[in-house]
Amino acid sequence: MNNLYRPKPVTVRKIIIENEAKDIKTFELVFLNQEDREKFNFTCGQFAMLSVLGAGEIPIGIASSPLDDEYLQFTVKRYPTGVVTTALHSLEEGSRIGVRGPYGNFYPLETMEDKSILIVGGGFAVTTLRSTIRYLLHEKNRSRFKDITVLYGARSPGELIYKSELKQWEERDDITMYITVDKGDENWKGRVGLIPNVLKEVAPSSENGIVLVCGPPIMLKYTMLPLLDLGFTPERIVTSLERRMSCGIGKCGRCNIASKYVCKDGPVFTYRELRELPEGAP
Amino acid sequence: MKEKIIRKPQLGTWLEGLRKEYEIWAPVKKNGLVLFHPIESAKEIHFDFSNTKKTAKDLFFPQSEVLFSFRGGEIEKEADMVLEKPRIILAIRPCDAKSLALLDKVFDSEDYQDPYYVERRKGTLLLGMACTHPQTSCFCTSMRSGPFEKTSLDLLMVDLGDDKYLVEAVTQAGKDLMGKDGSFEDVQEKDRERLAKVKKQAEEKIKSKVVIEGLEEKLDKIFDSPFWDRVHQRCLGCAICTYLCSTCHCFALLDEGVNSREQRVRSWDSCMFPDFTLEASGHNPRISNRERMRQRVMHKFNYFVKNFGETACVGCGRCIQNCPVNIDIREIIEEIENEQPLPS
Amino acid sequence: MPENEKQLREVAEKLLIDKKVDLIIGYEKGTLPLRTRPTFIREPEETKRLVWNSRCENNLSLYLKTVKEKVGIVAKGCDSRSIVGLIKESQVKREDIFIIGVPCPGIIDRKKIEDVLDGRELLEGVESDSQILLKAEGFEETLDQDKLLHASCRSCRHRNPVLSDTLVGKEISQPQTDEYSDVEGFASQQDNERWAYFNDETSRCIRCYACRNVCPACYCPQCFVDQSLPTWFDRTPHLSDTLIFHIIRTLHTAGRCVDCGACSRVCPMNVELRMLNKKTEKDVKELYGYEAGKDLEELPPMATFKIDDPQEFIK
Repeated sequence: MNNLYRPKPVTVRKIIIENEAKDIKTFELVFLNQEDREKFNFTCGQFAMLSVLGAGEIPIGIASSPLDDEYLQFTVKRYPTGVVTTALHSLEEGSRIGVRGPYGNFYPLETMEDKSILIVGGGFAVTTLRSTIRYLLHEKNRSRFKDITVLYGARSPGELIYKSELKQWEERDDITMYITVDKGDENWKGRVGLIPNVLKEVAPSSENGIVLVCGPPIMLKYTMLPLLDLGFTPERIVTSLERRMSCGIGKCGRCNIASKYVCKDGPVFTYRELRELPEGAP
Repeated sequence: MKEKIIRKPQLGTWLEGLRKEYEIWAPVKKNGLVLFHPIESAKEIHFDFSNTKKTAKDLFFPQSEVLFSFRGGEIEKEADMVLEKPRIILAIRPCDAKSLALLDKVFDSEDYQDPYYVERRKGTLLLGMACTHPQTSCFCTSMRSGPFEKTSLDLLMVDLGDDKYLVEAVTQAGKDLMGKDGSFEDVQEKDRERLAKVKKQAEEKIKSKVVIEGLEEKLDKIFDSPFWDRVHQRCLGCAICTYLCSTCHCFALLDEGVNSREQRVRSWDSCMFPDFTLEASGHNPRISNRERMRQRVMHKFNYFVKNFGETACVGCGRCIQNCPVNIDIREIIEEIENEQPLPS
Repeated sequence: MPENEKQLREVAEKLLIDKKVDLIIGYEKGTLPLRTRPTFIREPEETKRLVWNSRCENNLSLYLKTVKEKVGIVAKGCDSRSIVGLIKESQVKREDIFIIGVPCPGIIDRKKIEDVLDGRELLEGVESDSQILLKAEGFEETLDQDKLLHASCRSCRHRNPVLSDTLVGKEISQPQTDEYSDVEGFASQQDNERWAYFNDETSRCIRCYACRNVCPACYCPQCFVDQSLPTWFDRTPHLSDTLIFHIIRTLHTAGRCVDCGACSRVCPMNVELRMLNKKTEKDVKELYGYEAGKDLEELPPMATFKIDDPQEFIK
């Protein structure tokens, strides 16, 4: 019988250090077995369980686009108390780890097709949003979608991730980018301001709009109200949540928010769904 | 429906015959505890018990299960998912058998089947023993079960007193087990009368009644009520209620080292432990005992109902008997019924 | 004891009415025959729930660690010693608690009752003076409470609270007990016999951590059990890991354990590790002349250093 707890072997092809503090890294992974790669069909917003044998498993959002055929990318922050994140960060290129997935639901790409898209990301929670942006901007897809606005913020310039990509996107004319930091430094020439405040300045019209918003719990809490004020309806405010997970498939009983499992019924939820759940609203 | 009588002295002969093909697990008393053990002879079986200390879930979803072992970053060996020999669980109580039906909804569902659990379920026959002497803490009849309930059983045995068991086949597999032996006699009219009497007495003995109708809706309304501040006060936050509960099934996947061989293990976990939902960032969505107790009650009587259509409780009463501070779920349910919802 | 119960309720009621405390922690009747359980009372009229009898088994001082209000707490001899320990270790401020001391001749061990009943369910229990009437189906027997006392109570040397703000009832006599006779008896066995005993007991442990959670002396915000970096032992109840848990917990509570017996009472699997704790208690007494929780001023030996500390074990 197919053992759903067994991770598939992957090699760490490349490790990219994303931030100044060097505690956020992007791991580029290649499946060892072609059939595993072929079976791993995912879409934007989904996650996988990354497995370091001897340390454990953790759920990480997939940061690469479904159209990035040859590899998968995961961006992981190292926490001092995290057994697996610490183990991951001590790996070298060429190491062997495991991947289980893809799991979870996904961003409503079909619904997004005829809408004005706003993407708001805070800190390093922007990983699955990055997957989405890459996907939307791909030449195969771009024409299917209308205008795209991105607001991305971090605590400081050193904490911004995917810097090279941000630059590329800023130079495109089929996407509007707003980058902000909570606090600048001597070299920072860009915008300074907290996301909820900057949002009020730069948000496009909410008419026929849909917004994907991801960030740490505190940022989500303070961004919901401005989004609602701007006129986005609760069904059109879409977010992705995190919880500690073990199985990733809705069996172990750990990641639930009320009757919904973040691994199975999420991690993508609309604000309307969350409002209806006790212990749900961020 | 096939029913037969077997006299108690013949039980050993029948089981001896079954032992050739099956590994038989039955209640055995040791150190003051009645637990399921594999047995060599009927003499080891302890029949004079209300319920085993630990539940039947242990035999399908063990406290610790090796999934696979690895060395040097590579998976070496996946655990064998096939039982060496098919099993019989003898004298399982109807509430525990019902709990397996509830666990099936989790571990053997349309979208995912847990290979370890499923193989064990497939390879195990359940020979139930009706409860002729339910305890005062039993409330199975309120939880869609009962002392003579047949859910998930292959056979149901009833102690008629008078040195006889009435054995009823519930499934074809159960019927086959009975057909394998000449120890069985036909059922007489007086046996049926005795059966009816014993059943009625047992059901009357269950005085504890808990109303679950409307409970799910009521819980929806009192999620933020100060009721939860009162309920959790004495709770120690240990795992007794969860580990000894027939339907609790939370687990963790952990990498462990045993004698230089490393293994990924699935182990029981408890939503009552403080670090159950603790994230590496330090954020804990269920930060205190209050939230965790609320989660436990909501999960059993509301979330599970929403997801699977039934309450995740069979009324076995183990949590009541074993809680060190006598937290009583029957009381909690009654308080929930009486709690005024906050004005919305 | 019934007069004491009445007095206890009056004392508690007055404390709440006079607003000397915001909360009373005591015992109330449980939902199973002969059971009592901890209760939290904030309204004066609710004090009639309070009971005091030979089945008040929990050590209530455990709740002082988390309660933030001004508390009136019912304390037996052993409980009062736990409170002294908590005050000494700065877990509780003396001025935040009002100790309602209750002299205690001993608490019954529920597991002994189970043994007497031999599988029958206890349907009713009636306590009177120094006896208990047990009723089960087809069974009725009256026993002396003495015969049913928990092992910790049999070796108790502090029947009267060592610290209290008021006493309910009068001080009771303290018979001389040879408190270490069972430890000495056990210690005289061969080491392979003792090792076999501990392995056998530990093999039943399901790592529910009730023993740790019910112990007033266990209050670490992060217990070594719950640490993941480093992981001290695995979650799977391997015999060696489970033994390590119990041994380390014994060492962590050495010189602090007052032998209230709560840990052995709550264990659902009848794991009896009291011998380990009692032995460490004896060792601490012999090495440092110290008894846990007796004296607010006495410094705990495991947390202090004296030049003349015994060191024959350094060879």
